[in-house]
Amino acid sequence: MHTCTKLKSEFIKKWMKGLQICCSSKTNMDFLERKKKIKLCADIALASAKNSTTSWCIALISEAKKHDENKTLVDNLLGPELRIKPQKTNHQMSASHKRARSKKILKKSHHVCQRMKKMGPPKSNIATYITKILVKERTQVLKRLVPGGESMDEISLIKEALDYILSLKVQVDVMRTLANATEVLNQSDSTIFD
Amino acid sequence: MFTTHSRLDAVKPDPGMDAYWAGLDGGAFGDQLGYGYINPNTNQRLLTLGNSTSVSVSVSVSPKKRKGQSLQVVSDKEKKIKGCSEGESRTTNQNSNSKEASTNTSSKEKSKVSEVQKPDYIHVRARRGQATDSHSLAERVRREKISERMKYLQDLVPGCNKITGKAGMLDEIINYVQSLQKQVEFLSMKLATVNPGLDFNVDNVFTKEIFQTSTSEFPALGCSSVDSAYYQLNSTDQVVSYCGLDMGINSAEMGLRRGISAPISVPETFMDSSCFNQIQPTANWDADLQNLYKMEFEQVTLIPFQSHQFTGSNEGSNMKTET
Repeated sequence: MHTCTKLKSEFIKKWMKGLQICCSSKTNMDFLERKKKIKLCADIALASAKNSTTSWCIALISEAKKHDENKTLVDNLLGPELRIKPQKTNHQMSASHKRARSKKILKKSHHVCQRMKKMGPPKSNIATYITKILVKERTQVLKRLVPGGESMDEISLIKEALDYILSLKVQVDVMRTLANATEVLNQSDSTIFD
Repeated sequence: MFTTHSRLDAVKPDPGMDAYWAGLDGGAFGDQLGYGYINPNTNQRLLTLGNSTSVSVSVSVSPKKRKGQSLQVVSDKEKKIKGCSEGESRTTNQNSNSKEASTNTSSKEKSKVSEVQKPDYIHVRARRGQATDSHSLAERVRREKISERMKYLQDLVPGCNKITGKAGMLDEIINYVQSLQKQVEFLSMKLATVNPGLDFNVDNVFTKEIFQTSTSEFPALGCSSVDSAYYQLNSTDQVVSYCGLDMGINSAEMGLRRGISAPISVPETFMDSSCFNQIQPTANWDADLQNLYKMEFEQVTLIPFQSHQFTGSNEGSNMKTET
């Protein structure tokens, strides 16, 4: 996993940087606020550390930018080249939206035509009918899970999900080791003072 | 009988995908390079006749059922494929291939698609007993792309080796993504408690150490005393109640979704049990904590076990399958 360690170090650097920015702006945050900030910084840091053009990255970042309070944080975290990209990809996303919609319309009309020929679901193939429904339903769920997945067709959705899973794994790994390390540190500090 | 050349490099794979797949475990794909995984975008190989005729016959590589047979063909003759023999064996497999059954029409003729060689076209040949209009051909291409991607996902998501259907695979993927997201949530909560001031300055000191010794840290922690375990558990008490609420609400949703789907695999039993206890999530967690205390006194495994407990047995089984 040599590529992963590079990503990990990038991620953790950006994450720490983001947290420092958060710290400087506010003091005495309560528990939930802190948790939100941590998570937000982690997500943005991961998306920007990836440094790729996968749409979930871009969707994450653009969603974070929607809230004004996060804007400065996001801008500081991202490199200058990534700041310009979200504007371009808004076009991309609207275009893909249109593409997806027009594809859907085409498909629907095609299905309707086919259905006129064959009457109703074939009784012998009820298993396939059920699996079709299941698959449809589950792709809907997956679209909601993966950021930016609403406007994607199935093939690219799976590709995005793959990428997303990999980076989530990295994120969990880093966060867990950090949590454990800080716990150990706290613990050793307390034993020193005892 | 005619021998044909196969053009494995007919369609250029985009570099993004290549770099991406290189990051994955290369061992899984290494022995299949000659088969068709060279082009993740299209899984068709273009066969061209040696003569000047403009007929191009392509073989579409379909999943699993014909895998063994095609591998033999490739290994026997490196890049020369006897189109006829493959065509014949293909037709015998056709009727048993239930996946294509849904697009069967009454037509039973082979059709040859004669097209000019262009690198960005996907040449697909209609199989015997298949519809020949462009819609169903495109459908088939699409389906095969999806199934190929599913195979990659199988390697990524643990515990997916036995599941072959698309719906089951999607279910596993969804569960895995959800569990990973919840782990992120939980870990950020944990970090918020452990570090009241959001000051992680110490990290600069051991940023490198984390990655190098991330595996060696755990055995080192295993030697520490029982008191430290007690201390850690106390610090995560407040985290537990929040976690319980979160899990209670979210697992209700999952329970609803699950009601429709197929039988559940083992890692999810954790989620399901908390679904039934959603009225008193904290009580459930307290019981878990009690067990944890007992375990801690008996064994000396600490933090990794603790995080397993809270992040669900899903994580535990993940660890097992990955190592």
